[in-house]
Amino acid sequence: MGIYEVLVRDFPFLLKGLGVALILLAALLVIGFVLGLAMCLIQLYGPRTRLVQWPLIAYERVFRGIPIIIMLFIFYYGLAGLLDITSFAAAILALGFRSAAYQSQIFRSAFQSVPTGQMTAARAMGMSKTRAIRYILFPQAMRYAIGPWTNEFSSEIKETSLAYVIGVVELTRQAHYIISSTQGNVLIVFAVVALMYFIVNKSGNSLLYGLERKLAVPGFGKR
Amino acid sequence: MTDTAILQVENIRKRFGDAEVLKGISFSLNRGETKVVVGPSGSGKSTLLRCINRLTSPDSGKVLLAEEEVKEANIDSIRSRMGFVFQDFNLFAHLTVLDNIRICQTKVKGVAHDEATQRAYHELERVGLSDRGGAYPAELSGGQQQRVSIARALAMDPVVMLFDEPTSALDPELTGEVVKVMQQLAEEGMTMVVVTHEMSFARQAADEVIFMEGGHIVEQGAPDLLFSRASNERTRAFLNVIAENG
Ligand SMILES: Nc1ncnc2c1ncn2[C@@H]1O[C@H](COP(=O)(O)OP(=O)(O)OP(=O)(O)O)[C@@H](O)[C@H]1O
Ligand SMILES: [Mg+2]
Repeated sequence: MGIYEVLVRDFPFLLKGLGVALILLAALLVIGFVLGLAMCLIQLYGPRTRLVQWPLIAYERVFRGIPIIIMLFIFYYGLAGLLDITSFAAAILALGFRSAAYQSQIFRSAFQSVPTGQMTAARAMGMSKTRAIRYILFPQAMRYAIGPWTNEFSSEIKETSLAYVIGVVELTRQAHYIISSTQGNVLIVFAVVALMYFIVNKSGNSLLYGLERKLAVPGFGKR
Repeated sequence: MTDTAILQVENIRKRFGDAEVLKGISFSLNRGETKVVVGPSGSGKSTLLRCINRLTSPDSGKVLLAEEEVKEANIDSIRSRMGFVFQDFNLFAHLTVLDNIRICQTKVKGVAHDEATQRAYHELERVGLSDRGGAYPAELSGGQQQRVSIARALAMDPVVMLFDEPTSALDPELTGEVVKVMQQLAEEGMTMVVVTHEMSFARQAADEVIFMEGGHIVEQGAPDLLFSRASNERTRAFLNVIAENG
């Protein structure tokens, strides 16, 4: 059987791998979004005490400073002793927690891009700080954040392939299985896989650019 | 302090680091009165206004709105009854004119959406912009933005309006339309404290002009009196300068 027949026969496995990668991507981005936004809000508007702020700074340093492969090993083999964690769950946590560190930085600079007068005006009209953040700052900050966030999306779709190292059967590992069962043909199989990553990346970017255009407001947040 | 004073400012002091910016400011405002505050740059006019609604918290002294003391605990409720107009408008950049005027009605006072819309159109009409409800702030001229910000404050049904140099950020040809709106408000009986160098406004609309310098009220009185024969030489000199430039 030639490599093309194998590829056609095994394509469903690649699709399955892609599905796993996409679930991993979605989960890590959601964790990163929720945690990252929470950390950014606490850093900017929370109590200024060291007890609150220092752990957040430490968190960011740690997750941005350690190679992700080490992080994956720590989460999988390290935590495996403590709790019964699947490699898939370990990958979601490691990548998600690291994305939180990156996203918190994206959101922080987005919130800081909103002129201070916006908060002042909302507060001057009797709006509570929480509501001012929710109704006035958040919608503006998201418009500043969406560009950098699109970059984060692009990096993370590529980073999901690193889950390979702890045995998650995502797209890259499926590709590897096909290669080992057919000997050789590395180039063609990986070219197909590369194309699949590329297509997801491109479509995601298009969606996000579309969203950015949809949210665009005259004269505001132009990049 | 008269019984009818709606806003009382008593002995406000504020210091930033080493500099005491307000050195005990007191005045009061009756319902329907307009006071104009003038003074050189750095004399503490903005700080005074911001101490009144606690955008800056004063070190000592107190402010009473309709006999209720302004405190940290009731500040949101107080602010919803005190309009504040900024030099640089501060319209919410992501919202249309209509939403700018609606959002604080609905999110602060809990007014229903439809009612807020009606009120917004009513206030837009007052400032002569009823056809611009769908525009975004960036699509408006400075003068129009400032009129929208006045409409936004009015929609909250304020007891007092505070203006901090509302025309200073505008091109000279646009100040007139904003001054006109403020004059009309004063005539309609709005109670207002206006920091401005627009002497035409002070002459026509002010019940009293307060002259500040170095954190003190140096002089206060009816505009005619103050302009024609200010007893303090520095006041005279300053008023002459802005009368020529304004
Ligand atoms: N947040 C602050 N921190 C430190 N100093 C401040 C602060 N706000 C105001 N000041 C200082 O207090 C003084 C009074 O400032 P303020 O803005 O009240 O003056 P102003 O009379 O409104 O002047 P202008 O006509 O230029 O607006 C200035 O010397 C200013 O530098
Ligand atoms: Mg000022």
